[in-house]
Amino acid sequence: MRTRVHSCGIVSVLLALAVAHANGQAQGTDTDPKEALQELLSKALTVTVSARILPPDQQEDTPVWNAESTKLTIPGRSIKVRLDGDNVRIYLICTPYLQDNGEVLLLAQGQVWFTEPQDNENRYVSTFYSIPVSYGEKVLFFPLGAPGAEGQQKNHLNIELEIKIVPYEKKQQ
Amino acid sequence: MCPDREILSAYFDGEVSDPWARQIAEHVSGCGSCRAWLAGLDGTRRALAEERLLEWRAPMERVRRRILAHHPVERPRVSIWRRQVTLSVPVAGLAAALLLILGISLAVVSTRQDLGYIRITKAPAGGTEYQFAVPYDKVEALLKSVGGSDAAIESVMTIPKNVKLVPVGQPRMGKADEFPRKKP
Repeated sequence: MRTRVHSCGIVSVLLALAVAHANGQAQGTDTDPKEALQELLSKALTVTVSARILPPDQQEDTPVWNAESTKLTIPGRSIKVRLDGDNVRIYLICTPYLQDNGEVLLLAQGQVWFTEPQDNENRYVSTFYSIPVSYGEKVLFFPLGAPGAEGQQKNHLNIELEIKIVPYEKKQQ
Repeated sequence: MCPDREILSAYFDGEVSDPWARQIAEHVSGCGSCRAWLAGLDGTRRALAEERLLEWRAPMERVRRRILAHHPVERPRVSIWRRQVTLSVPVAGLAAALLLILGISLAVVSTRQDLGYIRITKAPAGGTEYQFAVPYDKVEALLKSVGGSDAAIESVMTIPKNVKLVPVGQPRMGKADEFPRKKP
């Protein structure tokens, strides 16, 4: 048994597949640039990253060293903070996303490059986190381990990074 | 005794081998009846091969010329869009199935993130930790997908030289409530 197929039918099917694929890849919209900018600003977020090195007992309010970085971003756009030390380099990459309930989902990646002082061996650790947070809620990142961790020696300094996200517009008021 | 007519016919066609062919030839040379029957066969063959062949070839050629005069050999041009391809039903079904698979594959590939291994750990405060293990050649793509390698906004903080940091455990992240400070 045989059947006849028009060649234009075959080409139409292939074209439809290609168009469907292209639609899946990108959907273009015509938007007024001013409106788009206002829309972006209305959703803009201020991300503050504070880095602190705390004394071993953590009882003192005054850290050994601290630094702060405040960046403006939009949901889905990363901000990147780099800490350079003598034997350590730390990257913190934060990408905030707005959730339907109005809160923020913080997607963060921590990368730690560390050189052991004794054997000069390099280590690399990378971890991803997703944490739902409210505006202004503090998130702490301990790139070299949390205080009170097993094996922690008393004389070691602790480094912590504090992340805080607030809406850009509310901050201006 | 004369051989059977079928054997004689086979002998006439050269299908009987020695020593039987030699014995039949000796018999035919001395038997008038068999010789006459073989002569009849020979006459029939000649008539078929020569006279009748000439009879049908000429009319056949006339008919062919007449057909060609009314229907030229050159086929009319058909647009490529209207051209028909004849396929057997199993082949057509197979082609349709392949097109369907191709379409589904394109849809899946265009939406799928290719990650090798992922372990998700839920934190008590609602946070989630993801640990990824991916082939080395996928690491760059993975970092790029989360803004790791192309994050344009970068702040650099320099830790003082005299501060020596030592890892005390695995990296941790969570809400501040999860890490209570020691009371003095």
